[in-house]
Amino acid sequence: MPKKEYSFKLKNDLSELDTLCQEMERFGRSIRLSKKFIFEINLALDELFTNIILYGFKDDKEHLIKVTLTPQNDILCLCIEDDGIPFNPVEANEPDLGCTIEECKIGGLGIHLIRNLMDEICYERCGNKNKLTLKKNITPTDPG
Amino acid sequence: MEIIEEKQDMISIFKLNGRLDSNTSQGFEKKIFDAISDGSINMIVDFKDLDYISSAGLRVILKATKALNREKGKIMLCAMQDYVKEVFEIAGFDSFLPIVATMDDALKAF
Repeated sequence: MPKKEYSFKLKNDLSELDTLCQEMERFGRSIRLSKKFIFEINLALDELFTNIILYGFKDDKEHLIKVTLTPQNDILCLCIEDDGIPFNPVEANEPDLGCTIEECKIGGLGIHLIRNLMDEICYERCGNKNKLTLKKNITPTDPG
Repeated sequence: MEIIEEKQDMISIFKLNGRLDSNTSQGFEKKIFDAISDGSINMIVDFKDLDYISSAGLRVILKATKALNREKGKIMLCAMQDYVKEVFEIAGFDSFLPIVATMDDALKAF
């Protein structure tokens, strides 16, 4: 697998989820990832991006969120950077999944999905930026 | 995302086509709750042509299910693609939501 970095920027607008999807499909095809894999990394990035847009910015200005994807042998490294308020999803509480429907709360569900879809999550605050690095193993047996 | 709304034997059927995410979930939520306001208490959501769902989509399904339970109604979810079903499973939602394989199975539940 080529060790080529692929990056793009998204504006802080939910309509950019369509751009995210297009970028992920283009990237996935370029390094021949399975559809399932593309779905999963798209979902993890969607959940992070949506969180950043809904809760990250306290002004009405345009912000850019940078996504960098780096394939490293059997691992895909995903990095997402934003200049929103400090937020560390690694420390967020897990939702209670053993609950009944009436008790079930939706908060934290996005983070729960990310934790399940990714193999490693690391958060850093660098200056005025949140930098979240995710790693996912690319298994050779993953069906296309 | 395209939403086709049909009615069959007093059951409101929503056929989803495309991607259900935080950008499209509000439109879907409005359609469901408009139908509930109009007196619909039995619903089927057909996932056959839905390619993608995020937690925003799960949230709408959960909210609708709770609202229909309060009205003594029922919701059935059918024909999910594998990746979409996996999201329900990771979230633990498959333990309390009625997910069935086909539209026929969903119709038979009423």
